[in-house]
Amino acid sequence: MAALAPNLIAAAFPLMKLMPARYILDRAVADGAFEAGMRIVETTSGTFGMALALLSAARGYRLTLVTASSLVDANYKARLDWLGVQMIITEDRAGNGDQVGRLKQLEHIRYEEPHCFWPRQYDNPGNALAYARLAEQLVQTVGEIDCLVGCVGSGGSLCGTGLFLRTVFPHLVVIAVDTHRSALFGHPAGKRLLRGLGNSILPGNLRHDLIDEVHWVGAYPAYSEARRLLREHGVFQGPTSAAAALVARWAARSRPSARIAVIMPDEGHRYAGTVFDDAWLASLPGWPCSPPSEPRELTSVEPGSETDWTWLKWARRSLNQIVHDEVENEGHSQ
Amino acid sequence: MAEVSKTAQNGKPSRRIGVGAASGHHGELVQGVFEDRHGRLHRGLVTLPLTRLVSTATFTYAATPELTTHPGDKIKAGLAARKTLSHLGVAAGGFLQIQSNIPIGHGYGSSTADVVAAVRAVAAAHAVRLKPSLVGQLAVAAESASDALAFDEHAVLFAQREGAVLEDFGGSLPPMLLVGFKAVGGRPIDTLALPPARYDSIEIQQFRVLRALIAYAVRHQDPNCLGRAATASALLSQRHLPKQHLEQVIDIAKGAGACGVQVAHSGSLLGILFDHAGTNLRQRAQSVAVSVRSCGFHDVEFHQINDDGATW
Repeated sequence: MAALAPNLIAAAFPLMKLMPARYILDRAVADGAFEAGMRIVETTSGTFGMALALLSAARGYRLTLVTASSLVDANYKARLDWLGVQMIITEDRAGNGDQVGRLKQLEHIRYEEPHCFWPRQYDNPGNALAYARLAEQLVQTVGEIDCLVGCVGSGGSLCGTGLFLRTVFPHLVVIAVDTHRSALFGHPAGKRLLRGLGNSILPGNLRHDLIDEVHWVGAYPAYSEARRLLREHGVFQGPTSAAAALVARWAARSRPSARIAVIMPDEGHRYAGTVFDDAWLASLPGWPCSPPSEPRELTSVEPGSETDWTWLKWARRSLNQIVHDEVENEGHSQ
Repeated sequence: MAEVSKTAQNGKPSRRIGVGAASGHHGELVQGVFEDRHGRLHRGLVTLPLTRLVSTATFTYAATPELTTHPGDKIKAGLAARKTLSHLGVAAGGFLQIQSNIPIGHGYGSSTADVVAAVRAVAAAHAVRLKPSLVGQLAVAAESASDALAFDEHAVLFAQREGAVLEDFGGSLPPMLLVGFKAVGGRPIDTLALPPARYDSIEIQQFRVLRALIAYAVRHQDPNCLGRAATASALLSQRHLPKQHLEQVIDIAKGAGACGVQVAHSGSLLGILFDHAGTNLRQRAQSVAVSVRSCGFHDVEFHQINDDGATW
């Protein structure tokens, strides 16, 4: 836990996904869904797979991970190999994470080896339930919380923590952080530079009706913020965490009397050769760019570029409602 | 403790008459299931003690094995006295007298208060002072499920069916004013006849946060966090022993700037908790008293909690 402002506490995790991975496996062992000797299979772009890999190594489980070529770098793959993970990497020419191809591969493995356990982080309710522990830790540290900020990928961390906190703090404002061209809050899915947040599909663990505001943060403002966090706060977190921190600092400024908590899901080491490397950054088209100090408020869902930071009052609506409301508004303006 | 017991076994107790007392309570702040340090789940609760309600037990040593209890229907207190005697290794019995101003039923903890007072009186008669944890264990042994009254104002998360402390919060509850009242048609409830609540996995996880709120409230003497925990626990309890008009009471509490609403999870009591340091306390407390009466609640009372007798 780190204080980023007088009214802003950050839960900065080295590897947040250990929390749901451990909970899901423990529950599966307890209710018999996962028995001794069974293989674990999962499709993952990163940190949930790493969490499963660490737990599998420590507990002697066999693990197969399906990922896409665009998602896994050599160092990360080497770490997973070294942990004894069987890796299946799909060719991802479009560079959008190839969620569909990965799920097809997973289906194939499950067909070949039916007696295996699939944690299903996107749809397993245990993913969200696990975060009662984070809600507990936040309350232990700061007591009452008025506003929660976090990234959405599977929806587990933000919706789980938000659900458990809102039961005791009914006024809690939940702010979701997504990135452009992610399908989670209504953008058409496309190629994204930021990993670890956003999704091309809609996971069951995302509860749109818990969300008060949505922010779409492009990769460039997130990269700048990751570097700023390290230089000015000594907090070494990845760009996903930085996107959340950027939004949370804005929330803390615009709500000075509210107590804000932000979830930062992974540390910065994985990005030493990219986000924290000046030469790599300089090779990006349009870098350096001055990051926006304020988000631009939208009145309807609209995609932006990797330099944009936008937000929308979501107002606990469903995705269908948002689409419906927008059609209505268009009707009125014509 | 063993040394003192030996003195008693030698037949030289320094006192022949012992007096013990225990407070009643206003139900629980939270009740649910909680992990112990090994990760195993236990039913547990945090009691809201009321020092104004007291059971006093007087135990008079007798050199005969018989143990008589007065009033004769205080069977569990008698059983607790017998268990305490055998813990102390005393074969002799005596006479146990219970005097209590705690109403029976409703959730004031009258039975546990009698039991705890009896244990303390027997120990005192044998010049022994028992640790609260042991008093709690003897109480559970005598009545199968017990409240945390053996710990007085010290806040603990107590496993009421095992007599074990799941968490010692390390201090007392923050100073508060409680406006207590009884539910519409509230009749005395046989606590032990109620089936134990079955909790689902969302509730089990939610209790973690309630526990953290109590810990924070005690550590920082923050009545607001305590009230948040109590209100959430009262709402979770609705699925198991519903209280009529609870939502209305929560609205009344919110309207008066109270910290929260608390219920006896296996009784008919409800209470609105105020920060003792709040402004216009008397005015706000009286206004909620009027509101809850007009909802049909009765026996509205004001209780001072841990305020060191301060005026309000």
